[in-house]
Amino acid sequence: MINTLGIGILLLYVSVLIGFGIYGAKLNLKTSEDYFLAGRGLGSIAIFMALFASNITAFTIIGHAGFAYQAGYGAYGYVIGWSIFITPFTYYLVGYRSWLLGKRYGYATQPQVFGGIFNSKLVAMLFLILLLYYTLPYLVVSIIGGSLAFTTISDGAVPYWLSAVIIIVISLIYTIPAGMRGTVWTDIFQGTIFLVVAVMLLFAVAQALGGFSAITERILQDRPEMLQRALSPQLEPINWFSFSFINSIAVIVFPQMYTRILATRSSRNLKQVSIYYPLALAAIFGVSTLLGVWGSVAVPGLAGVDTDNIVPLLIHRFLSPAWMILGLVVILAVVKSSIDSQLLSVTHLVTVDLLPRLRRINPRQLVLWGRLLLVIFAAAAYYIALARPAAILSIAAFAFSGFSVILPVMIGALYWPRANKYGACAALVLPAVMLHLWYLGILPRWTTFGFMPVFPAFILAILTLVAVSYLTPAPPPEQREKTFGIFDKVFTGPVNEPGSGGQHKIS
Amino acid sequence: MSFRIRLALVGLIVMVMFILHNSFWLWEFDARIPLLFGFMPFAFSFYVGYTVLAVLAMRLIVNLAWPDPPADVIKLISDKEPSEL
Repeated sequence: MINTLGIGILLLYVSVLIGFGIYGAKLNLKTSEDYFLAGRGLGSIAIFMALFASNITAFTIIGHAGFAYQAGYGAYGYVIGWSIFITPFTYYLVGYRSWLLGKRYGYATQPQVFGGIFNSKLVAMLFLILLLYYTLPYLVVSIIGGSLAFTTISDGAVPYWLSAVIIIVISLIYTIPAGMRGTVWTDIFQGTIFLVVAVMLLFAVAQALGGFSAITERILQDRPEMLQRALSPQLEPINWFSFSFINSIAVIVFPQMYTRILATRSSRNLKQVSIYYPLALAAIFGVSTLLGVWGSVAVPGLAGVDTDNIVPLLIHRFLSPAWMILGLVVILAVVKSSIDSQLLSVTHLVTVDLLPRLRRINPRQLVLWGRLLLVIFAAAAYYIALARPAAILSIAAFAFSGFSVILPVMIGALYWPRANKYGACAALVLPAVMLHLWYLGILPRWTTFGFMPVFPAFILAILTLVAVSYLTPAPPPEQREKTFGIFDKVFTGPVNEPGSGGQHKIS
Repeated sequence: MSFRIRLALVGLIVMVMFILHNSFWLWEFDARIPLLFGFMPFAFSFYVGYTVLAVLAMRLIVNLAWPDPPADVIKLISDKEPSEL
């Protein structure tokens, strides 16, 4: 089934990753900033691929293709349409101002940035708790999804538990020695692999099905409803609108994405990423959408969760065994690039925001603790992924919504000097509680006015921040100056100073 | 142009992009517009065009309202040289 060429490709791929680990072991990383933020030295290509590879999960290849199988071409706009613009826009809206504060004050995580802006340990702690609460189940679900896909595509040759071990162990090989540098090197390598192989896969499947036009003709004849968004029950306009508040705007709140922005070397690097990011996002989801829709006529009759297997099934039925290995490599690359960054960001949060509150630790020890915690979190995630407890899965189901409703506090903190710690705390807690009441069915569905719960929760976060901030004392002037003094100098200061590198222009 | 006006223009761009994404009245065209390159129906090709528009919109936003930090602020905020990756 799996030929020599295929095994060679797989061995080459794994060897490169192990090579990164061996090289990383020679690095002398002394501080947590070196280890967790790559010394804030990520250039344009590094940060582009780091953000892209972390952004793309098993859902892109597996879940999204399955959704396109059911909903048709409209799945493209529904899932990723708004993200194509708003995700890179949030790199500007939230990312750039956070990056400025990170450079100035040495902030390395969201609890540090927003705890610092509001001068509040409680705000920092709430950020820490909420980010861990949503990221950990999301990490476990990523491992579950990746392992299931790996097992499916290997036709059961690699059992589920072994798939999980392979995914986690390979991730740790380069992450433990090299920290963020290790994950970024592999992001560049793996991101390139899954973009290139995904496009190759698209052309190979198209050829096997008679060509692009022939498949589309077949869809026109057999499943014409796939071409019209208005005919898809999954694409109700109210859900389409609500979904704009889940998938797209949550990305900047993910700690693994936010931290990478703080690790960018310069403003110019971040600008270049923001401009060209839509192309990569549209390309990978475009491939996934087409494969899913084509699958609806090539492999008809799937329903429910079985539709998630459409890409492995297309490979199985229509392509040669060597493609199986390429498919495995893509699944591994997609899954691991998000899992390693999630693992590292969770460890980062605990190491720099929680551990120093519990015991005295010097910078050198922070790196050691970070490495130790990486192993502990990886082992814990593995055992939870094996047990698959229902509670974890249900939290992960609304983790994206949970991340989204944190965004109003982040924007308020960076743009509204009147926002205070009381407003921030209330706006972090209240929408999170409401989301739970809605998703766990404690509050009746009519209370969301027909929208997905995330939309009313998002509006509630804005209203709570504004109302509570106005009803409580304004932040002291020196506290506002600490944040907004910097922004005033950057955004409204004199232009074209020597060495500024060209104000308001990208070159 | 003051920064407030620039920021307002950025807000306008975001609103236009949001309205374009939620342009449900365009769904009427899904069945009427011919396939692009023989395989992309309007529901798909619309977002190919939207991607190009997103790149242009981001470029405009960068030019309008994303100044690099002035030299003195860079000195203030960067107390050490970043290491190369």
